[in-house]
Amino acid sequence: MTWLKLVEGYMPMQMLFELAFCVGVFALMSYLLTKSGMAIPRFWQGILFWVFILLYLKYRIYPPIPFSVRAMYGTVSLVAVFMWMSSNEEDWKKFKQPILNVLDAVTPFHKALRTFYLIALPVILWGFSYTSFLPSLDEPIELRTVHPAPPASTKVHGKTFVLQTAANPYRVNAEGKYDQEYTNRLITEQSMGRLLKPDANPWDPKAEGYLKYVREGGEVFFQNCHFCHGDNLNGRGLHAFAFNPIPANFTDPGTIAQLQETFIFWRVAKGGIGLPRESFPWASVMPPWEQHLTTDEIWKVVLFEYWHTGYYPRTWD
Amino acid sequence: MKDLRFKSVRLLLLVAAIGIAMISGSAAVWTYAEEGGGSGVPEGFKKSDLPPMPKAEDIEAGKRVYFTKCVWCHGVDGAGDGPSADRLWPRPRNFNQGTFKIRHTASGELPLPQLDLFQTVTHGLPGSAMPSWEGILTEDQRRQVIAFVTTQLVKDRKFDDKETETFTILQLDNIKPISPSKESLEKGAQLVVDKKCIECHGVNGRGDGNAFNLKDDWGFPIQPASWHKCWNFRGSRQDPYDVKNIFRTFSTGVNGTPMPSFADNTTIEERWHIANFVQSLCERGPNGDPLAIDPLTDKPKINFVIRSGPIEGEIPDDPENELWQKRERRIVLFGGQITHKPRNFVNRIDDVWVKSIYNDKKIAFLFQWEDRSKSVAEGKLPFQPTEVNLEDYGIKEQPPKTGEPDSIAANQNKYTIYNDAFAIEFPVKWQELPPPEKPRFFWGDQKYPVDIMKWEADGSLKAFTGTGWDQDFEERDDFEEKMKLLKAEWKDGLWTLIIQRPRKGDYDEDTYFEAGKYIPTVFFAWDGHNGDVGRKNAVSAFYYTILEPPIPKETYIYPTLIAVGVVILEGWVLTRRKNKKKGKI
Repeated sequence: MTWLKLVEGYMPMQMLFELAFCVGVFALMSYLLTKSGMAIPRFWQGILFWVFILLYLKYRIYPPIPFSVRAMYGTVSLVAVFMWMSSNEEDWKKFKQPILNVLDAVTPFHKALRTFYLIALPVILWGFSYTSFLPSLDEPIELRTVHPAPPASTKVHGKTFVLQTAANPYRVNAEGKYDQEYTNRLITEQSMGRLLKPDANPWDPKAEGYLKYVREGGEVFFQNCHFCHGDNLNGRGLHAFAFNPIPANFTDPGTIAQLQETFIFWRVAKGGIGLPRESFPWASVMPPWEQHLTTDEIWKVVLFEYWHTGYYPRTWD
Repeated sequence: MKDLRFKSVRLLLLVAAIGIAMISGSAAVWTYAEEGGGSGVPEGFKKSDLPPMPKAEDIEAGKRVYFTKCVWCHGVDGAGDGPSADRLWPRPRNFNQGTFKIRHTASGELPLPQLDLFQTVTHGLPGSAMPSWEGILTEDQRRQVIAFVTTQLVKDRKFDDKETETFTILQLDNIKPISPSKESLEKGAQLVVDKKCIECHGVNGRGDGNAFNLKDDWGFPIQPASWHKCWNFRGSRQDPYDVKNIFRTFSTGVNGTPMPSFADNTTIEERWHIANFVQSLCERGPNGDPLAIDPLTDKPKINFVIRSGPIEGEIPDDPENELWQKRERRIVLFGGQITHKPRNFVNRIDDVWVKSIYNDKKIAFLFQWEDRSKSVAEGKLPFQPTEVNLEDYGIKEQPPKTGEPDSIAANQNKYTIYNDAFAIEFPVKWQELPPPEKPRFFWGDQKYPVDIMKWEADGSLKAFTGTGWDQDFEERDDFEEKMKLLKAEWKDGLWTLIIQRPRKGDYDEDTYFEAGKYIPTVFFAWDGHNGDVGRKNAVSAFYYTILEPPIPKETYIYPTLIAVGVVILEGWVLTRRKNKKKGKI
């Protein structure tokens, strides 16, 4: 069903509307079939509707939901189908009649069916429980804190930076003064593609101040960082596929967009090895960039990352 | 009157008949001119008009896209000299000459902007730094940036120059594929020999035929593709198992590289046989089905667990032995070591296939990875095998800005040659690690040392203790003698290595292999021809080795109890039903 896209952000509403629409269609179909004398028995109506819900949950919902959650929804909808079937005495009788027929073996066919069920049921259940009792050799799940609490201060190349008070020395206006508003105006547009503002090209030879530093930061990024974080800063660089945890996706609103600039400075300078225990310092291949870059280069790279993704750094508040 | 009318109808019919004959006759001539071999148009191709030129506003809009996304690699003038270029191999494309690799047009011609370049931007060029821009740039933005590149940055040729440019297009959608039958594959296998494909791509298609003498149009070294890793085919269009992509590349050639077009000296049928054969060599899963390719990385999906299987008796040293053959293999992917100096921006080894088996005393690993050459260092190395800080011996990383002549692309094949090598690392005393803690992936740390088994192509197999990325290795007491190199063979671009070690040794130094436990594992590979030595290597993420435990008794007991319970329940329901019916009567 790739042709019918789920719209990002509207998933639950769209899903409910779709389900409501399907129920409408089913009601109509059932009505038409009844009218033309080919009514589906109550029993099969219930079964088919439940199967439809299971298939919808498995194949339509995106991103896919895990089996355990699907099983839960499946059970709830089974109960709902039962309630629907037993809403009045007559319907309930119609619904359970085929089941009773099999139990009582009213015809030879039903008897054969009953024998089949009596044998198949324990066998199938044995198989299911056997596979669930088999020792699992899947990868163990380990939960990692992606953004740990930062230290109060960090020492880079012999200089101490207090995270609460330090500021990016390159976030400056044309006069060279720290100016958040000015730089925010020159950041890329927050629309698809996140393109630069038409009159704010860092590659303009006349670019001064903020935009010039953005370009210099970009140069450092594309000499060092893009190998993992990718040409679009989305964490899909040339080497990214090999590593676990995967490199951070800066275009995701959950990374640099909700962090302070000094936090990024600390993370870049100290790298994976400088992380606290809950963030798995042993597994991260993020270099401690103080081994490779100067303090100025780190600040410029941070500046570039915000420019390119179009996010404003969070302030301490 | 009546007669006249009849006559005029006859005349009309005659004229119509002549007309039809003339039209169909000229159509036949026209078809011959377009598709016939005699006119210089290769089989399966068709001459076409020059593509339409883009609108000025699209070019202007494309400039904005270019200076946001592309300039960083392809440079201000599109000369492929952006900030990233000197540390990349292959280098970013230099647009100025209008030389583009993946096309539907005949060899040497410009690409079709709306088809070829659009697909390149959309799907990227897997195996290179060019990513897929689908989902990042809108379709319009992708078309706009192509408008800018083709009109402003392609400088030596003009897409609308009728005098010099021709467009002869492969009619890929109208050519019926030949199914990859056994017969077709056999013909293909013979054709790759006859057409001399294997001279560059190697007798087994691992890209090892003429691996180190080839250059592209700009004089940079270039490697023949390995047919076993179709996900790295530049023209795979993110659908690497589609044989059409190979047919296209084979028909049109790869402009700017030594890969020619075979359109003139093969028939369409022959091209399908070759494409089918090449495609059949791509790695597949246990049942012969294509590997699952991760759409975000264009590489095979990873399972981070390496399962070691139990066997009785001795561990065989032949990978063809049944005990090895029936084991499932798992792929381990490598990135360059880009954490500490000297960083390895270009790792030539990007994956290894791993199998493992164990008996009551020993465990063994079988590694197979592609390497285009067997590299053994000449003479005695100036440093000890335990040394890891080798900057003083000239092992340096590529500087960020050198210009083309000293770039990493130009430096390929010029390195001092060291030993090919492979290492596997486990934590010592992993039983005592407080989960999820592990030693640092890169040769452990002071708190948690690691057990490193390292093999080198000079035939040595050594046991080291690692205590940090910048700490020299320490040799372990007597473990080296207990390990055994069962096989180390390089053949036709593939290393096969089998290493055996005791499951237990000295608890304080050597990793214990207990069944049913997840033992953290990291892999390292060195390509001697790439100048890899010490920290300049290829490294994997953390994987887990697990020795498949025997199936516990509970696994059989509980399901049986459940089944018996169900049978009793069934009996109860039926009896109840019977009694109820009797009662009613």
